[in-house]
Parts: sequence; structure tokens; C-alpha cells
Amino acid sequence: MRKRIALVAAAAFLAVAVLVAAFVGAADLNPLATAAALLHLPSNLGPLDRAVLFQIRLPRVVLGALVGGLLALAGAGYQGVFRNPLVDSGMLGASAGAGLGATLAIVYLGGTGPGTVPIAAFVGSLAGVAAAYATGTAASRHTVLGGGVATLLLAGIAVGSFLTAVQTFVLQRSASDIAAVYSWLLGSLSAASWQQVTTILPYAAVSSLAILLHGRHLDVLSVGDEEAQALGLRPGRTRAIVVAASALAAAGAVAVSGLIGFVGIVIPHVARRLAGPSYTSVLPLSALLGAGFLVLADTLARTVLSPAELPIGVVTALVGAPAFVWVLRGTSHVGT
Amino acid sequence: MTAACAAALAGCAATASDTTSTASTPAAPASSTPTAAATFPMTVKAGNGAVTIKAKPTRIVSLSPTATEDLYQVGAGSQVVAVDDDSNYPADAPKTSLSGITPNIEAIAKYNPTLVIASQNTGGLVAGLTKLGIPVLIEPAVATLGAAYAQIEQVGQVTGHADQAASLTASMKKQILASVAKAGSGHQSLSYYWELSANPFYSATSNTFIGQIVGLFGLTNIADKADKPADGGYPQLTQEYIVTAKPQIIFLADNEAADGGQAPAIVAKRPGWSGIPAVHDHEIVGLNDDIASRWGPRLPQLVAAIAQAVERAPQQPAQ
Amino acid sequence: MTALAASDVTVALDRNQVVSTVSCAVRSGGWLALLGPNGAGKSTLIRAIAGLVAYTGTVTLDAVDTRTMNARERAKVIAYVPQEPVLPPDLTVGQYVLLGRTPHLGYLATPGRHDRERARAAMERLDVTRFAARRLARLSGGERQRAVLARALASEPQVLLLDEPTSMLDVGHEQQVLELVDSLRKDNGLTVISTLHDLTVAGQYADTLVLLDGGQVVAAGSPAAVLTKPLIESVYAARVIVITGSDGHPVVAPRRSPSE
Repeated sequence: MRKRIALVAAAAFLAVAVLVAAFVGAADLNPLATAAALLHLPSNLGPLDRAVLFQIRLPRVVLGALVGGLLALAGAGYQGVFRNPLVDSGMLGASAGAGLGATLAIVYLGGTGPGTVPIAAFVGSLAGVAAAYATGTAASRHTVLGGGVATLLLAGIAVGSFLTAVQTFVLQRSASDIAAVYSWLLGSLSAASWQQVTTILPYAAVSSLAILLHGRHLDVLSVGDEEAQALGLRPGRTRAIVVAASALAAAGAVAVSGLIGFVGIVIPHVARRLAGPSYTSVLPLSALLGAGFLVLADTLARTVLSPAELPIGVVTALVGAPAFVWVLRGTSHVGT
Repeated sequence: MTAACAAALAGCAATASDTTSTASTPAAPASSTPTAAATFPMTVKAGNGAVTIKAKPTRIVSLSPTATEDLYQVGAGSQVVAVDDDSNYPADAPKTSLSGITPNIEAIAKYNPTLVIASQNTGGLVAGLTKLGIPVLIEPAVATLGAAYAQIEQVGQVTGHADQAASLTASMKKQILASVAKAGSGHQSLSYYWELSANPFYSATSNTFIGQIVGLFGLTNIADKADKPADGGYPQLTQEYIVTAKPQIIFLADNEAADGGQAPAIVAKRPGWSGIPAVHDHEIVGLNDDIASRWGPRLPQLVAAIAQAVERAPQQPAQ
Repeated sequence: MTALAASDVTVALDRNQVVSTVSCAVRSGGWLALLGPNGAGKSTLIRAIAGLVAYTGTVTLDAVDTRTMNARERAKVIAYVPQEPVLPPDLTVGQYVLLGRTPHLGYLATPGRHDRERARAAMERLDVTRFAARRLARLSGGERQRAVLARALASEPQVLLLDEPTSMLDVGHEQQVLELVDSLRKDNGLTVISTLHDLTVAGQYADTLVLLDGGQVVAAGSPAAVLTKPLIESVYAARVIVITGSDGHPVVAPRRSPSE
């Protein structure tokens, strides 16, 4: 079956990406020794190299997979809820809220310590989505079924613009922080650690599960709110759950990695091309493909200009934009 | 390396590229030595070209923290009416909300300045002030110690404190010489990592101003191999590179709470860094971020802090 | 077999009463046709019966008030086909018809063998099995209509609500669809309520007609009782002649005034 083949292929893609990433890096570790160390066999990797492999490189690979999977899932979730394939995981004020949170933390709290900026970005992201959702549903209260999709999207744009404007204002008051904020905005996994992995794991698990379990519901939603309700679904409730779960997924990702674009919008499209439009396939496929893609993108980011790093958002955009065009060319009908 | 250090210490201003001073009055002969007596009106060559100052300025606005320190140390403090929001030293300088990075011409003009000193010409600063007939000197970040001395002397000259400036630079040279003599200048076996920021990790190579200061002691900079022309001496490094380069001293220019918060204790706890010689020998030096980022009269303190770290470091080459 | 009755149903949209105290009933296995000019409130009434719009009054299925049912329970009994159904272009016919099983699936359940079998049976009934793997975008208008009906049938409803099921079809395809609905009615024991714009066709298939105007019931009863010249001319502001066809059903035809 098409779906099964696609899932297996995507899982293999992720496995290959992780392997490549584990063996490649600025530290130039001996491949055989690395392989032995990874398999817990006796290896002649020195203690420093071991530290590099297990404390610096591996957590970065794992975090990249987590972040990529979360962003792709969130993007696919939003695309299902809004019945619009041009929606990204940063919509509904998620990216703008995270950016504002991070900016406030860097400017007013000096970005001190490993926890301040990620927490602020996480909270900001969720707050952004909450504000957009509240605004959207309040504005569309006169619609027959309440919570019209187009209104929500527009509310998201309005809230996002507002938050970005506030961010710019704050930054202008403290121009010396512009470089720090800018580099956060461009996205980076350079601070990856096992601690970060364990911190976002619960959010990742809860949100991913919630989104994946609603694949069939998103398929029903694709025939419109009215027909979905006639089929026994509660569109408003489904939408609220999936938006909340996607917001949580995106917030968790953004908190540790900054803003990374294109993953949330392109990966679901690739998934659709491979396995058809049903969300029961698109969701799990997006998670696997997104994870593999970001691991590869990060590997590129930290090796192409070694020992310098490219901001990962630049890599995903440079790779993602042409990929997006390729995907669009093959799709004859975009959306309903 | 040692020859270059000697030349820098001798303060041969001829090697400095950015600033020179000439006095041009009918009475005194034109001279290029900084200690020539100068009277007003005078024309000096600053970062923004030739600037004429008609009379001793009594209402000076400083938009550069380094220039502020210079002004007060050469004795021109009483002539300063306003300094920018980042000028925090000395504490009694008249700090305002003026910005040196995004200057507002009208706000500056409100202070009725007879001289404005800034470190960069952003937002049309020079053009705007020139239109208002206010002389402005751009004293940019320097590339060498010699240029730093020349800048201080120019500040002294235009404010009518040339003699004080000269003795200030002489005393600076003496202190720095003493620090280097005590700690020694041949420490090629000692490697160091200078951290400007974390996540992403930016460093400074030995070609930069700060690199040259550390270079007075002969240390090896781990960022040199990573530098590419486009980086301009400030390459970005991955953690893997830093760790495998095994620096023996780490200097932190981002350790203060308001500036990155990467205190030595936090750096020591970074996952994977415990194997670095600098970490297990406790050779992580948190510098005063202000002193480490300016090129003014407190440079000897920076040199002293570096000297202290060099003297403390285990001398045998660590694995 | 379910009888449906609407009693004093009123729907207000944007403070306008679009449907005003409408009462009508259809026996189990019967076919009720809602007629009326544009804006008479036919579609809104159907949506109220389907529970898709807020209304005052009661709608009962076999004397059980539908308000006591939740959305899923109601969806198991009533299948609603809107005038312009949303057809996701990349979905295959098979996947689309399977959506009809939604009312029978638990919250986290996925379609099982029984569901696929019901969907397959519905597709066969509507003769769209050969399109099962084809995308909805690649079907003709008539084929799409049949796919939509197959989805409605797949949910094994007892009541079929059809809003203008043939307004886009030519006379041949219209007859095909209506014949199909009629045979489904007889074979599966469905109760049908539909809006139809063609008065003659409505009279041929429905056994009860309800004529609406301005949200209110103007006439209700058998085709012969409702399709009368004075009624039609006054409600539609048109000029018509009504004759009795060879099968006993009234035929309504527009008439042109000679002097124009």
C-alpha cells in the first residue's frame, strides 16, 4: 500500500540522516572509533573526543530530529485545520510571539543563563496563538458555526504583525542587542544539550500524540465545517484541539531552536505528494520527513563553512524554497 | 611577533592609520608630533576627514563610551555637557538618553554643542551636524595600540589638553610595558580562546585589536585557523571546534549579566567542555566587558587582567 | 423507516426571520419536496432540520426531539447533502465515500472492515465503484453527484436531506439522479426531504409538497393540491399554465403574455 511504503521510506530517510550527522562534524572524529563508541564497543576515542561526540554532537542530532518533526507536524496540523496548504507552523502569531518573547528576554533580562530565552520564547509563542485564536473567534461570533477559518487566519496575521511591531520597537530602544536578537531569529541548534532534549520531550510527546490522533478528524474537516458537522463531527472543538496541540509543538521547537522556516510548510506538501491528501498518512509522514530533513539541514549548516556555522533558517530556506517550487509544479490543484 | 610588539609599545604613531594631527596656526610651525603646542583654530584629521575646530570647545557631546573616558582622563571633563546612554564611566559623567548607535540629530542639537565626538557615522550624523555648523569628530574603533594612543592625544589636542593627553599616553605605555615585562612575552605554547558571544559563538583572531593586545604576551589564538577573509577577524566557531582546539585559557568578554551572562561557572558547566584544559585548570577569565570592548585610557587594566591570567596558567604545554 | 416532523420551526439569521413558524411532516418512507421562490427559506429550513443552524421549535424523528441527540447520533440517522458540496480535489472517490462512515466511528477509531464494506456497497449502488481510485477532480458533474450520494448512503441513514440535488444537471442526468433516489427510497426504506426548483419534477417524484414563501408555509399537500395556477402565480409572480399529464401528475409550464 502506498501509505505503508512511504512511511517505511521516510523512516529509512531519517535513519540515514541521523547516521550521517553522527559521523560528520568540525571535530573530525575517526569514523571507526566513532562507530565503535556509538555501539558501546571498546573504542580508542579519547576522552575529549568522546565528550564531543556524546555531549555536543549527539544531542544536537537528536534535538534536530525532534525540532524538525515538531515543526512539520505543527505545519501539517495547521494546514488541516485551515484547509489551506499555504499555512506554516509559525502562523497564528506563533513565530511573532516567540520572537517578541526572546527579544524581551535578551533586551531586559540580558539573555542570562541557559533558561531565560527558551522559556520566554515558549511562553511568547503560546501567548501569540492564544491572542490570535481569541481575536479570531471573537470576531467571527456572528458566523453561523462560530470560529470561521478565514477569520482565524486573518486574526493570526493581524496579531502577528502587531507583535512583530512591538518587537521592533523594543529592539530600537536597545540597539546594542540587535545582533543577539537577529541571530536568535535566524535559528540555531548550536546550544543543543541533553538537558534541552529532556526539557522539550514531554511537550513534544503530548503535542505529537494529540495531533497524530486527529488525522481522521482533519480528513472529515476537509469537506467544510457544515458538512463535517452533518457527519457528526464538532468542527469547533476539533479545530481548538489541533490548533492547541500544533501551537504547543511549534512553541516547544521554537524555544530551543529559534525561528526556522519552511519546514512547517514544505514538508507536509512533500508528504502529500508521496502518499496522497489523507491526513492519516500526511501527519506521520510529515513528522518523519521533517525530522530527517532538519537533521540533514543542520549537518549542512555546521559543516559547509566549518568551523563557522550557517544559521539553520538560511539552510532550510535555501533548500526549502526551490523544493517548494518543485512540489507546487507537480500539484495540479492546491487546496480546496 | 616580538618585533611587532616592540614597535607598538614604542608608540610609533606613523604606523597608526586612522588619525593624525597637524596644527595649523600662523605662529607655530606645522608639526606632526603629538606633543606640539596647538592653539585654536585648528584642523585635525579624524575618521571623517579634515575637521576644523574654531575655538576651545566648552560644550562637548560624546556619543562614544571610549571617547567619554578619553575626555575625562585628559582633563576635559568640565567641558562635557552630555554623554550617550552607554557611557557609564566615569560614573559622574552627564549620562543622557542620546544614542550613539541610532543618533537623533535634533536631540543632540538641543544641547547646543560646540563639538560632538562619536565612534561611527550612522544615520547621517556627520552630514546633519555639519549642516547645523557643529563640528563632529568620528573616532572609530582602532586596529592597533598605536592608533589608540593617537586617538587619545587627538582628543586632548582638540579640547586644549594636549599636554595632559601626552602624559596620559606615556603613563599607559609604561604600565603596559611593565605588565608585559613581568608576565613575559614568549608564551607561544599557551593557547587561548577569546569569547565575544555564545550561541552563536563568536571569537576574535589575533589580527584584531583585542587579538593584538593578547598577542603582546605571545599567546596562540585558536580562532586564527578558522578565520576566513569575509569574517574580518571575527569568525563564528562551532562548539566542536572550540573543544577540540583545547585552549588553555578562555577569556570571556560576555560574562556580565547585562551582556550575555556567560559567567566562568556557567562556561565550565557547558556539556562536553569539561575536557578542555582551560576548564579543568580553572583558567576561565571573566573580563570587565566594558574594559574589554573599549580602546581608551583603561587599556592598561585590560592588559593587567590578561597578564594575571598568563602568569597563573600552567606553563607546561597541556594535552 | 423514520418519520420526520418539523413543528413551528423558526430560524433567524442576522435578526431577519428567514423561516417563520414552519410546520411540516413526512411519513416514514415518504418524499417531501420543499418548493418556493429564491429566498423563500427552503435551504435554511433543511439546514435547521439537519441541526446545522440554530432554530426555535421542534424537529422530531419518530417523535424523538432531535435536540436530545448529539451531533453523532443525529448524523447516524440523517444524511445531509448540501447544494454545493465541498469536494477536496485530491481525495479519491473511495476515500471520500468512506468519510460517510464518520458517524459510526468512535472518537479515536479508524474505519474497519465493516466500514469499508458498507462504503463499497454504497459505491456499487451508485455505480461509482470503477472510480474508486480516481481523484474527485477528475470526475464529470454527474459522476461527482453520484459520489456525493454514495457518501450519504454509506452512513446508512434513515432520512436523506437533499438541497437542490439536480440544479446543475441537464434533464437527462436530473432524471437519472431522481430515479436513483426514488429506488433508494424504496429499496432501503429511506425518508427523503428535498428542495427542488423544478415544479413539475417535484410533482412527479414527491408525494407531499410544501410551498414556502417569505419563510412561511403557503400551501402543503399532494402535488395536485399544491401545484395550482392561482397559488403558483401568486407565490412566484409568474404566468403559468397547469395541465394534468398522462400519468395524472400536474405539469406546470410558463406562459407568455401575447401582447409583449
